Amino acid sequence: MNTHIEGSPSFAYIQVDLEPGESVIAESNAMASMAGDIDLDTKFNGGFMRGLLRKFLGGESLFVNHFTNNQAEARRITLVQPNPGDIHELELNGDSFCLQPGAYICSSPDVELGLQWAGLRSGISREGFFRLKLSGHGTVWYGAYGGMITRQIDGEYIVDTSHLVGYEPQINLKLQLAGGLFSSFFGGEGLVTRVEGKGKIVIQTRSLSGLRDYMNPRI
Amino acid sequence: MEVELMHQPGNSAARMIIPAGETVTAEAGAMISMSSDVQIETTTHKRGKGGVMKALRRMLSGESMFLNHFTPGANGGEVIVAATLAGDMMVYDLDDEELVVQSGSFVACEEQLDVDMNWQGFKSLLSGESVFWLRIRGTGKVVLSSFGAIYQLSVDSEQIVDTGHIVAFNETLDFTISKAGKSWLQSILGGEGFVCRFNGRGTVWCQSHNASSFGRNLGPMLKPR
Repeated sequence: MNTHIEGSPSFAYIQVDLEPGESVIAESNAMASMAGDIDLDTKFNGGFMRGLLRKFLGGESLFVNHFTNNQAEARRITLVQPNPGDIHELELNGDSFCLQPGAYICSSPDVELGLQWAGLRSGISREGFFRLKLSGHGTVWYGAYGGMITRQIDGEYIVDTSHLVGYEPQINLKLQLAGGLFSSFFGGEGLVTRVEGKGKIVIQTRSLSGLRDYMNPRI
Repeated sequence: MEVELMHQPGNSAARMIIPAGETVTAEAGAMISMSSDVQIETTTHKRGKGGVMKALRRMLSGESMFLNHFTPGANGGEVIVAATLAGDMMVYDLDDEELVVQSGSFVACEEQLDVDMNWQGFKSLLSGESVFWLRIRGTGKVVLSSFGAIYQLSVDSEQIVDTGHIVAFNETLDFTISKAGKSWLQSILGGEGFVCRFNGRGTVWCQSHNASSFGRNLGPMLKPR
């Protein structure tokens, strides 16, 4: 599988060249264009019950699409995300990574998409009660609204709610006020997410809820 | 006219340098600046041929009802046009041929080109994306915009494109609105729904982002008016 991320950082999309017999698994509605003879198979996102859980609790789709090249030559498929922003590629070698709802775009077939209880705090801070945990061996592509910043943390770090894209599974999320009562509510920062642990986190430079808060008073 | 694209791909605009004696037609609301002696004439269709029926068709097609025609003074002039959404722009030079353009991507063209509804576009009503297509015919330049980046897809064997990702395509291509997967059920459950299947030889210009998908993410967060 030969892949290129193009259009970075504002309008990133993924060109995937599938060799004969290869497949790619993609989030619902991620396909923008593809060769006419690539086979599309729609499957429950990890089984019926787990799929339902993912949809209603994890904010992910009930179905994922398996695109397979059953032809004798390479075929191209272009995969995209709905929001203007960057896309990152992540190699998994038996380790795992957690993604916030909506960040997952596609993955190679041996990556497992699992759902994990993220905790009450995560739910209240609108980061979702469940988190999507990717594990196994293979490649994952995930996207963000805006650019992405990667931080290695050791201890505590604070991220504005709704800017978190992904984090390593050993990291815990906690909700707290940004500062004192006054600065939290009048300083525009409100609630923030405190991430704790040691490992990698990924942050997006824009957030849809930020755009929402900008637009709502104007419509 | 000469066209210079600026600030690609995120915030693109097109600077159209129009010699004296030429006129450029643009989508209503596309002009962001121009020379002071450029005359604007607003019509419902081609200059001198505006008919109520044609205007109605344009309204149905999702385009605004009016077109603006820009004519510079004796020394020529410039008009800068841009689109609403963040994204790239492109210029296509038609040589006695036809280009089918997704209505929301049309920005401007030389006046001698004929801008018309492609009635085949009504097929795409089914797709629920309210995508309509304009047919642009003749010889001259046309300026198009996209939501996101533009990539070219050369068709020599069948290609499938999501209807919301089409910017424009050569009229030489055959297309059918169809399902992405083996069955309708799968295509709809999988969120891919309706797609366009292109056959023949030609180019499809695709956009990396789909305004409807972004709208579905943002829309529910906005308060009702």
